[in-house]
Amino acid sequence: MTRFAAEVATALVTLALGLAIVVGAREYGTGWAAGGPEPGTFPFYVGLLVTAASAGNLLLAWRKRHAGIVFVNAVQLRRIAAFGLPILGFVALALTLGFYVATAIYLAAVMRFQGGFRWSACIAVALCTSAFFFLVLEVWFRVPLLKGPLEAILGYR
Amino acid sequence: MGNFESLWHGFSVALTTYHVLLMITGVLLGILVGVLPGLGAPNGVTLLLPLTFGMNPVAAIILLTSMYWGALFGGSTTSILFNIPGEPSSVATTFDGYPMARQGKAAHALTLAFLSAAFGALVGVILITLLSTWAANFALRFGSPEYFAVYFLAFASFVGLGGAAPLKTLVSMGLGLAFAAVGMDTISGSLRLTFGLDTLVSGISFLVAVIGLFGIGELLISMEEGLRFDGIKARISPRAVFEAIRSMPRHWVALLRGSSIGCWMGITPGGPTAASFMSYGLARRFSKRGKNFGNGEPEGIISPETADHAAGTSAMLPMLALGVPGSATSAVMLGGLMIWGLNPGPTLFTDRPDFVWGLIASMYIANIVAVVLVLSTVPIFASILRVPFAIIGPMIVVVCFIGAYTVSASQPDLLLVVLFGIMGYAFKKLDYPIAPMVLAMVLGDKAEDAFRQSMIMSKGSLAIFWSNGLAATLTALGLLLLCWPAIAATWRRARNGKRPMGAVENRGSNGGERQEVA
Amino acid sequence: MSAAFRKVTGVVAALSLGLASSLAAADWKPSQPIEFIVTAGAGGGTDNFARTIQSIVTKYKLIDQPIVVLNKGGGSGAEGFQYGKGPAGDAHKVTFATNNEYLLPLIAKLSWKGDDFTPVAGMAVDEFILWVNGKSEYRTAKAYIDAAKAKPDTFKMGGSQSKDTDQTLTSEISAATGARFLYVPYKSGGEAAVQLAGGHIDSNTNNPSESIGQWKGGLVKPLCVFSAKRLAQGPKITETMAWSDIPTCAESGIPIEQYQQPRTVWLPKGAPADAVAYYVGVLEKVRATPEWKEYIERSAQTDRFLTGAELKNFIASDEQKARKVFQQEGWLIQ
Repeated sequence: MTRFAAEVATALVTLALGLAIVVGAREYGTGWAAGGPEPGTFPFYVGLLVTAASAGNLLLAWRKRHAGIVFVNAVQLRRIAAFGLPILGFVALALTLGFYVATAIYLAAVMRFQGGFRWSACIAVALCTSAFFFLVLEVWFRVPLLKGPLEAILGYR
Repeated sequence: MGNFESLWHGFSVALTTYHVLLMITGVLLGILVGVLPGLGAPNGVTLLLPLTFGMNPVAAIILLTSMYWGALFGGSTTSILFNIPGEPSSVATTFDGYPMARQGKAAHALTLAFLSAAFGALVGVILITLLSTWAANFALRFGSPEYFAVYFLAFASFVGLGGAAPLKTLVSMGLGLAFAAVGMDTISGSLRLTFGLDTLVSGISFLVAVIGLFGIGELLISMEEGLRFDGIKARISPRAVFEAIRSMPRHWVALLRGSSIGCWMGITPGGPTAASFMSYGLARRFSKRGKNFGNGEPEGIISPETADHAAGTSAMLPMLALGVPGSATSAVMLGGLMIWGLNPGPTLFTDRPDFVWGLIASMYIANIVAVVLVLSTVPIFASILRVPFAIIGPMIVVVCFIGAYTVSASQPDLLLVVLFGIMGYAFKKLDYPIAPMVLAMVLGDKAEDAFRQSMIMSKGSLAIFWSNGLAATLTALGLLLLCWPAIAATWRRARNGKRPMGAVENRGSNGGERQEVA
Repeated sequence: MSAAFRKVTGVVAALSLGLASSLAAADWKPSQPIEFIVTAGAGGGTDNFARTIQSIVTKYKLIDQPIVVLNKGGGSGAEGFQYGKGPAGDAHKVTFATNNEYLLPLIAKLSWKGDDFTPVAGMAVDEFILWVNGKSEYRTAKAYIDAAKAKPDTFKMGGSQSKDTDQTLTSEISAATGARFLYVPYKSGGEAAVQLAGGHIDSNTNNPSESIGQWKGGLVKPLCVFSAKRLAQGPKITETMAWSDIPTCAESGIPIEQYQQPRTVWLPKGAPADAVAYYVGVLEKVRATPEWKEYIERSAQTDRFLTGAELKNFIASDEQKARKVFQQEGWLIQ
């Protein structure tokens, strides 16, 4: 992926965000009423500013389109995927099985497949970490995290 | 000096074995919640509150405030070690703390942070001791126009005109302002920019954004570079702590500047977060070592930390003397005061001198207790970096997501962290500065409220910002600071004839590319 | 064990009524930790309300399960209701609120409605007082209102939030007297109190507990209370005055009979009737404790316990009154 492509993609995303802000702000009036600016005024102009600045960034990127600077190479991309995809898996697990189970599975898997630790070590660290968070948050500070079927069996929810 | 006698009396109230034990407990618990992002001081204090219902008020407030100090210290730890601010007010500490830790000087950075924090806190307490009445009355002079001027000043001191990529700074800042506007609008009572999504009704949490932008974003970058933590080989010995202690006096200018900004922002309720940003911004602009900022410069740690703690401490004053909470945490404590049967307000000092001066004395003692405890944890925390990345990396990820979830127990926040993480990664690689976005999220909403309240009062006339000496001075200072880079550039060009402007404007943006907004 | 136990039995025995109703409700019991959802940020009136109940329940062991208090004050409390409403029938989520439960959906497009909740009880009503700066030249409500009438749209009335209780009351004052104010919304009543103490606004309509500290210190002074009769006799707050020395607004020339804000407790829609009865039983026991009496007295609220049909009637009439004001001001959402 070239830097040009990345610049364009980012600028397009911020441009879209800017337009969304403008559209969203239009709903509440964007004028200057007797009691000062209306609720939409401030977001409206901020949205315009973001849109205009993003357009400017697109233009600047376009001017340098032939510079041919690499944004991420294949090796880096693989490294990011190796780190980022498990994160997404962790989030999916946390939403379905709850935080504690997800933490244990995620830690054990990453330690085993990326760190190359022995299974016994992986499982020990994973379980201890999960238990630590459970004790501190759930039992001690009474901060409820997302919980899943396992906690339900144990009587927590 | 009546205050000294009262303080002496306060020490006799506060210095009992029971109270000191409470301080130690409070500080240790505070460090724990401070280190876990998302949990934070307000949550910790809220969770401890029910335990204090049966205690006497002095013991109760000592426990709660000690936890607050502990949490403030703990918040800086994760900023420095993992680039994850444990507290909103320690965001600015990441700018130089994290680069320094990556250079293998984690122990040095932590010690600097803790010592300067303690210095700031002590200045804050001394201010409370000496000037309580005066400061409380001064705080009363702040109405909406003055508030707006303070926020404007804080903003202007951090984000000046000019800079490496002005358009990118604008995008970043604008997005931050827009994120801050999402949710219920105080002035009109209508929901803004929610696009019909339930999860946006309560707004975009600042902490969720910061955890994604800084924590996850930074992890992605370091993974891509194939880096483990550079600190692995760094020897961690108590010597690093002592060397850092010895180097402190050299930074007296930064210490004094930081603590005066902190005290000022604590009393005029700008808050610790704004104070730390402002202090960092001013230090970068006016320090001789300004161009090193962002690359692990000691003053870049000292400045925000002193200001943060000076503000956190002096924010207790408006709470006691006026019943105005200066921060989220003191709002909780204020609720506690009512439950213990005390009425915060101007008469508290005369009605319950035991309580007030016991508390003030305990602030001296608890901060010393806290700094001793927290310094002894430095080798432990710094050695975390020696754990293999395959273990510590995923653990940081877990802590990030748990932290983001505990902010408001909302599942969509987990997805927001992922989105902000990707944004943080892309922005950092493409030289979009992230700091202006974060600052805009902190101040944008408050500044807008203050501005519109002023407009209601003046029926739409901007002249209200010049209507009295205080507001006018603040506004003028803000404008001056906003234009300062341009003024400085013109001044230098006038002096050296043909120096190009870019040479001046680019300072602070080499290498790290962390905040090229100067 | 025995000391604490005796204390509990003592309280329970002293309250035969509470005992009877708790026996009747014995069919439902919490089987897991209970969440107290506070629809306001930490430190505000609703927060103190919920935490006082939590502390009493914990102290006298009125509920066997642990209680978790969650502050969800985002979007003027909308965040809390969004969380507290579901899943329907879940009797382990108890939501603490004011009249915002049924008024907020009138003025903002939200994903929940008033009837997503089952009302459990109204525990007290909070009063509203017209406050001015301590150094203000106005000594009576009448003098202040007359001055405001002489110069319409110049006197600044502060309050907590927009289109909420304070602004509604301000609008009712205008309708009743013809005096027009500039309403300035702040994040909380506490902020409005300080702005008044600093002289940046001319008046506000804070609850007693929001301004008691400043009143004691002489920074603000009360003109009248929006209540049908004067507040309960209590200890003197300042050297000369107690809460009961504040005249009612009706007797000092503002023809508003009564304006109050209930402190309410809710369960999700479809909660079993015996679960509602269980919580009513617990709350009745809470009311009988000295701590609760102290809380009511300290915050100068009026003790008024509403359940069942009485509560439903109160809600219906309160909503109707507010709807009328909202209609006039054009705040109702389409």
